[in-house]
Amino acid sequence: MDYLGQDRREGLGRKANSRVILVVLILASVFLLLSSLYSAQASVFKKARESVLDATSPILEVLSGPIAYVNGVIGYIGDYFAVLEQNDALRRENAELRQWMNEALELRSVVSGFERLQSYQAPPQVRPVDAYIIGEANDAFARSMIINAGRRKDVEPGQAVVDPEGLLGRIVHIGANASRVLLLTDVQSRVPVYVEGADVEGILVGRTRARPTISIIETSDDIEVIPGQRVLTSGAEGVLPRGLPVGVVEGGAGDLEVDLYANYTRARMVRVINFEFPAVTDENAEATPEDEASASDEAVAQTQAEG
Amino acid sequence: MGYRAEQLFAILRSLTPTLLGFVGVLILALPIRFFEGALPTPIIPLVVVFFWSIYSPDFLPSPSVFAIGLLQDLLMGGPLGLWASVYLVTQFAVSSQRAYFLGREQKVVWMGFALAASVASLMLWLVMSLMSGVLLPIGALAAQVAATVLIYPLFGAAFRELHSRVLVEA
Repeated sequence: MDYLGQDRREGLGRKANSRVILVVLILASVFLLLSSLYSAQASVFKKARESVLDATSPILEVLSGPIAYVNGVIGYIGDYFAVLEQNDALRRENAELRQWMNEALELRSVVSGFERLQSYQAPPQVRPVDAYIIGEANDAFARSMIINAGRRKDVEPGQAVVDPEGLLGRIVHIGANASRVLLLTDVQSRVPVYVEGADVEGILVGRTRARPTISIIETSDDIEVIPGQRVLTSGAEGVLPRGLPVGVVEGGAGDLEVDLYANYTRARMVRVINFEFPAVTDENAEATPEDEASASDEAVAQTQAEG
Repeated sequence: MGYRAEQLFAILRSLTPTLLGFVGVLILALPIRFFEGALPTPIIPLVVVFFWSIYSPDFLPSPSVFAIGLLQDLLMGGPLGLWASVYLVTQFAVSSQRAYFLGREQKVVWMGFALAASVASLMLWLVMSLMSGVLLPIGALAAQVAATVLIYPLFGAAFRELHSRVLVEA
């Protein structure tokens, strides 16, 4: 009545299905796994990842729209029960933000006054690229997302990806029209950061938990980090701009955990920060003091040593 | 139906389990975050590998399993060969116990899947912990495997129907 489990030679594996091949393939994949420890950036692997990104991105792009819609609808159901508390919280936050807005407007007029001075040099231009999140690794250990902007839009590996609230992660692989973002929570993620007001430079290390930790690389004698202080990118490795908001310090001494601003479950539209790090050329050599450049070189060396 | 069309359908039928595995990988790569990501996405390729390794290994030969695992590694951005080895080892273990599972009640097979999935996830966790040099938290993986085990009866039944009605001509 039922053909399940009968050895009918009808499938793909009329000849291919032998134990020997299975064992050989197991060995091959273990070999791949071991070799990817040492040559993760090998060009063959990179090429393969890029072509898979390019091949799957149209499918993901089409499907991610309806999925975002369903996510939203289900999200609304959850919000429906908490609507009063949320309203209250938003009203309070709004009042607070209005104060900040007034302060920002005042500061803007002050800053524009300074900018009119002759010695002022404009900071390097940031050319952001907007993109949608079309894919996400639903994997316990690989924390990454796929966005629909790639080489054609001048996205490059190493660039920062932010959502309206803060840093999400960095570009690791790029295809022609899609690229992969390694999230800050991934165990491979290393991002140089500093704690505002505490004079602490460090590296944000992902641990596959919701909160990455800061490992300190440069300390003054004693670290005084107060929970609630802001954590920002330090730009020490020469790729990310300095000062992108990352999160706030959570907990005290010992493991410095960071509560990220970015909301990985809500983010949909993101922005790739296409940042050109200011290089010392003849033109701006005077404006960029030597000691600052050498300091950042040191930090790069330390970053590499840590990584 | 002409001879050629029939041949084409036969090829399609024999490819179906492999394609289902690929679809399962794509589902893992979609930004599904129901209830703010509280629901983990089940690892459907694991169900595909388990099911066809027991009931009809000819429809899912090891090169197909290797391809499914490799696609998942490439798409997820993890180390290459990780999921390929997890799926292949699962196939190896399951096919050695095939005689036991054949003709058993679905409950027993379900238990078997739970065991296989736990062993596979333990392996995954050990390998990833070794590779990253720290003991990684296992909570997220446990939730994902639990979700996969929970949906097994549903997918098992669907695959049974598909296999006995469509793939193997009556």
